[in-house]
Order: sequence, then structure tokens, then C-alpha cells
Amino acid sequence: MKQINHLTGLIALVLGLTTIMANAQDKTQKGTIQIYLAYSQLNNDLPVIKVSAKTKKEQKFEPVAGVDINLFFNSETTAGFMGRVNTNNLGNGSLAMPIRFKSQFDTSASLKFIGTVTQNKQFKDQSTELEIAKAKIELTLDEVDSVRSIHAKVLALQPDGQWAPVPETEIKLVVRRLLSDLTATEEETYTTDSIGGEVSADFNMSVPGDSKGNIVVGAKIDENELYGTLVAAKTVKWGTPLVPDHSFSERSLWATRDKTPLWLLIFPNIIIITVWGIIFYLIYQITKLIKLGKENSSV
Amino acid sequence: MSSNKIITDLLPQKFGKTGLIWTAILILLCLNGLYCYIKQIRFGLGVTGLRDYASWGIYISNFVFFVAISLVGSLITAIFRLTGVEWRTPLTRISEIIAVSAILFASLIIIVDMGRPDRFWHLFVYSRLQSPIMWDVIVITTYLTLSVLFLYFPLLADIPILIKNSKPGSAIQKFYKFIGAFWKGTAEQFRISENAVKTISVMIIPIALAIHTVTSWLFATTYRPGWDSTNFGAYFVSGAFLVGAGGVVVAMYVFRRAYQLEAYITDKHFNNMSKVVVMLALLYLYFNVNEYLVPAFKMKKAEEHHLHSLFTGEFSLLFWSAIILGMIVPVIVLLFPKGRKPFPAFIMGLLVVVGAWFKRFLIVTPTMLSPFLPMHDVPESYKHYTPTWEEWSITIGSLAGTLLIITIFTRLFPIIPIHETIEEMEHSKPEKHEAN
Repeated sequence: MKQINHLTGLIALVLGLTTIMANAQDKTQKGTIQIYLAYSQLNNDLPVIKVSAKTKKEQKFEPVAGVDINLFFNSETTAGFMGRVNTNNLGNGSLAMPIRFKSQFDTSASLKFIGTVTQNKQFKDQSTELEIAKAKIELTLDEVDSVRSIHAKVLALQPDGQWAPVPETEIKLVVRRLLSDLTATEEETYTTDSIGGEVSADFNMSVPGDSKGNIVVGAKIDENELYGTLVAAKTVKWGTPLVPDHSFSERSLWATRDKTPLWLLIFPNIIIITVWGIIFYLIYQITKLIKLGKENSSV
Repeated sequence: MSSNKIITDLLPQKFGKTGLIWTAILILLCLNGLYCYIKQIRFGLGVTGLRDYASWGIYISNFVFFVAISLVGSLITAIFRLTGVEWRTPLTRISEIIAVSAILFASLIIIVDMGRPDRFWHLFVYSRLQSPIMWDVIVITTYLTLSVLFLYFPLLADIPILIKNSKPGSAIQKFYKFIGAFWKGTAEQFRISENAVKTISVMIIPIALAIHTVTSWLFATTYRPGWDSTNFGAYFVSGAFLVGAGGVVVAMYVFRRAYQLEAYITDKHFNNMSKVVVMLALLYLYFNVNEYLVPAFKMKKAEEHHLHSLFTGEFSLLFWSAIILGMIVPVIVLLFPKGRKPFPAFIMGLLVVVGAWFKRFLIVTPTMLSPFLPMHDVPESYKHYTPTWEEWSITIGSLAGTLLIITIFTRLFPIIPIHETIEEMEHSKPEKHEAN
């Protein structure tokens, strides 16, 4: 009986040690993931939180695709859970702040976002935080005596709920295009003045717009440490109206055959008809020769 | 020389042992080409050395060669006829049958180059006059038709002689009767026939110039190093006349030897044709200097790779051989009276024809391997072009096919017009009497 107890104890010890070792091995195999959060807001609307995930492999950071990142607003609680983002091939993802957070967002002067990776098979648990001071850009576009100007004013929300000008902040005045922003003015960047937090610059650019000349002109604070990325943009008829190229539907050398240029239809066809007319005449001459031969035979 | 002697000398003869072996070799080469073509249809153009960059290889070179050599029909028959060159008579039919057979195979080889020959009909159903390829289709069809008529009308006067001298009731006599029993040799028939020949002589010259100019435009209208030239039409036409004249000299020698035609194709013909070859070779050399010296003087970046590949690179041996052996050596040799004797003229004619074939290859392929945008991340086979044995077999098969048509033609019809020769002999007799 004593021997059996000893054997049972030994088996329990082996099993216990195996489990501990297996767990330890599992933990050592998991890699470390780095999570980055970025804040982006357009026209004072609810923000978009951009995430990117990277891991270090052979002294290099590489993007991590297909990992779920949980995003929270203000606190890592069920109430603060905004959603889950799955990263793409470049290790990036984004999430627009859900509408249910709007009132909380509108009244908060300081915003905190938390990103976490938990219960991942490949990576250890990880979390990161992003703190943003809430700010906005007020954009004014005017045209006086044919001089077009862009005015931008940067304001930050104070704890007392008042908006206060933000001085000495770098801002870009841009024309928004499909893939990136073009500098709309002489300087690439401007700094808001120390009193009103404002910048102004003339718009002298010639940019193709839509068929009515509409373009999107904006002001942008780009990846600011305090305020994140803020963009204010407006559609204005300052572009050159785009005249659609209908040359494919007109007669041209590169059009379909029913749109052959008239000169290319007329002259070659005159030549072709003339030459083939003569060829048919020559063939007709052969028939005449046959007829003459038959007549001669009958005589 | 009596009419009977002329008829006996010039009537088509049955193949001897050499003729049979020659025909059998040509048939075998054609069958081998056909076998490879069936293989190409089955497995696609992958069986060739053609890839993304060199998408035009020896098929297109061969096509340009065929179109070029076909111009001989207009040179000898039409230009010589209109300019009153009296010694042309024994050469007219030789040049016309070369023209017809070459242009026929030009149109066939272009189909061979198509990856999907089953879509050939799309060319007509979806044709666009804006495309130079369509211009080529039109002009080749026209030239082929005119060349056949140009061969047929002067042949009519020989048909009664052929019917009379063939075995009564034989298949060959029936064939002769089918194509020309109606020819009775009346004054009215001669008048119609002569007018038709005159009309074709005038018409075929611009058509012949057009056929090769349009072929040159297939290249010149494409913006690529080596092809981007306003000179290309004249360059191609001059080269075509040269290869055509060289081809006639070769054919003259072969027919003279094979059918003992020394009394008809004389040293005078070799002497005169050699002079024509010299003139055309100098003209073609002039265009070559224009085509290569001027771009080489500027050496634009985009042209550099192409020109270096020709002058000192992978095509240099071929390039300098084509220039020196295909043009310069014939000019030097044929300048001397001894060089214009039948045998040396024949060798020079061969050099001209072979050089011309490789010259077409040099026009087509090196350009394709020198694209404006550098080649990156492509398999090694894309950077070079080496024709496969299937390609060579098809190409050789097409060349053999051309020779086979000419061979069969000479078996059926007199290669020197009998009636015209008799007429010339009869006309020259009173002149001799008068002179005496």
C-alpha cells in the first residue's frame, strides 16, 4: 500500500512538472508584438483610430498581418470597448469611433485610446495607450478681388469646455487629391500665430477639378504629438473644369473601325475601288477572250 | 533558229533523275515543316523561341524576305517592259513565277506567325483601316491577284503549243485545255491580251512599291529603336529590288544548266543582270549608310543598345556578313567583266539572296531585343532569341514550298515564253537581212 502511494505521488510529480515545462515552453515560443495607435480626424467629425502592428525579426521590424487588436476609449473596460481591428498584409488597420461615444467624445478635452492584443497564439499579451488633446481646425476659404485665400484657425478644447486658440503649431494648407495631398500655397508648412492660432495664405494654384471645377481645399495638422492628425476640408470651385476626353468616341486613328477618320476611309477606298475595278475589268477581258475563242471555233 | 527548234528547246520536260530527287527533297522539307506547324498549333507558340520581347522572329523575317523577293516581278516584267529592255524576254516568266510563289508564301507565313490561326478570319470581320496590318493584307491580296494575271496573260499564247505537243487525251493536255483552249491566236485576242499586259505593267509598279512600303510601315509606324525612320519605305523597296534581281540571276543560272538553255539565257543576260545587281546593291548600300550611320553619329541613349548589338554585340557577325558578303563583295566582283560571267554571277546572286534573308532578320529581331524600357526581372530566355528547330523547320519548309511551286510550274509550263521568243526571232530576221 505504501509502495502504491509512493508510485501515485511520483506520477503526480511527473505530470505536474511536465505541465509546468510545457507552459514555460509555450511562453518562451511566443513573440513580442509592438502596437502603434494614431489619431485622425476629418472636419471635426468622430475620429478614426489607425493601428499598426510590428514584430522584431532578425534585428528588423516587420509588419504583422492578421492579428486582432482591441481598441478602447478612455478605459480598458466593456463600456470603453470600441471594437476589434484585424491587421492587413501591411500590418495596418483602422476603426472609426462608434457613434455611441459621440457625446462622451464631444465633451472630453482629453482623449485616451488603448489598444491591446490578448490571448494571441503567436504573441504575448500587449497593450499601448494614446493620449490626445482634443483640437479642431476652423477653415475659411474666400475670394476677394480675384484673390483666393485660405484661412485656418486651430482651437483646442479646454477642461472648462471652452475652445482656445492654439499658437505655434505647424499646419499645412493643401489640396486634397485621390492618393495624397498637394501643397496648395507657396510654403509647404505654416505656423499658427501666437495670438489667434491662425494662418492665412493666398491660393494661386492651377489644379484640374471635376467637370464643374470643384476641388477640395483643406488645412492639415499632420501627426502632431498632442493633437494627432486633424484635417478640415471644403469643396470649392477653384479648380480648372475638367473637359472629358471623348476622343475614343470620335473619328481617330486609335478609335474603333466604325470611327475611322474620314480621310482614311475616302482616299484608300478610292484607290482600292479603282485598282480592283481594273482587276475585274482584266478578268472580264479573259471572258471576252473565251467568247472570241468559242466564236472562232464555231466558224 | 527555227520555230520548231525553239519549241523543242523550250517545251517543259519530264523530270530527270536529278529533278525527281530535287522535288522529293522539297516535298520532304515541306512535310517536315507541316509536321512542325501542326505541333505548333497543338502546343502553341511556346514551341518557338519567341517570347515576350522577341515576339517577331524568323517567321516575320521570312515574311519580309518573301515580300521583298516578290518585287522582282514588277522589276523585270513591268519596268523592263515599259522601258523597252529587249533582252528581258527569257527572264519575264522566271521573275513572275518567283513573284507569285513568294507572295503566296508571304501570306501563308504570316498565318504561321499567328498564335491562334483559327482567329484569322477576325482580321477581316474586325478589320480596321487605321491598322497598317490591314493595309498590308489589302495590298498583298491585290499584288498576288495582279501577279497571277501577269503570269497568265502572256502564258495564253503558249497554251496552243503545249496542247499540240502534249499526249492526246492525257491529264496534262486536259489541264492545258481547261486553262487556255479558247486561245486561237486571233488578232483580236492578241490585241486584248497585249492591252491587258500593258495595263498590268503600269498598275503593278505602284502596287509593288506599295506592298513593300506598307510592309516597311509595319515597322516604321512602331516607335522602337531601329525602326523609327522616315527612310524605311525607300530602304525596303531598294533592298527588295536587290534581292529580286539576285534571285533572278540565281534562277537564270539554275534553269540554264538544268534545261540546257544556253542559247536563250546567254552571257549577255548575265552581264546585263549583273550590272543591274551592282546598281541596286549600291543603292541599297546608300540606304544602309543612312539607316545606320546617322543614328550611330547621334547615338541616342535609346538607340545605343540596338546599334551596339549590331556593330559589336551579339548580332555583329551576322550584320557585317550581310553588309560585306551580301552587298559589298557582289558589287566588287560584278564590276569586272569576268565577274559577270554566269558562274561568278550565280555565286554573287546566291550571296545577295542569302545576305538579304539575314538582313531581314537583322531588321526585325535586334530591335525587339532593345526595348525602350530596360528588361527587369525576366527569365533569361526573354533576353535572347534563338529559333527552335521547329521554327527553322517551318521556315525552311516555306522556302522549300516556294521552290516547289516554281519546280512544278517549270514541269507544266515553258519557263521561257515560246511564242514571244519565236516572234522576236522572226522580227529580228528581216532586220538582219536589211542590215546585210
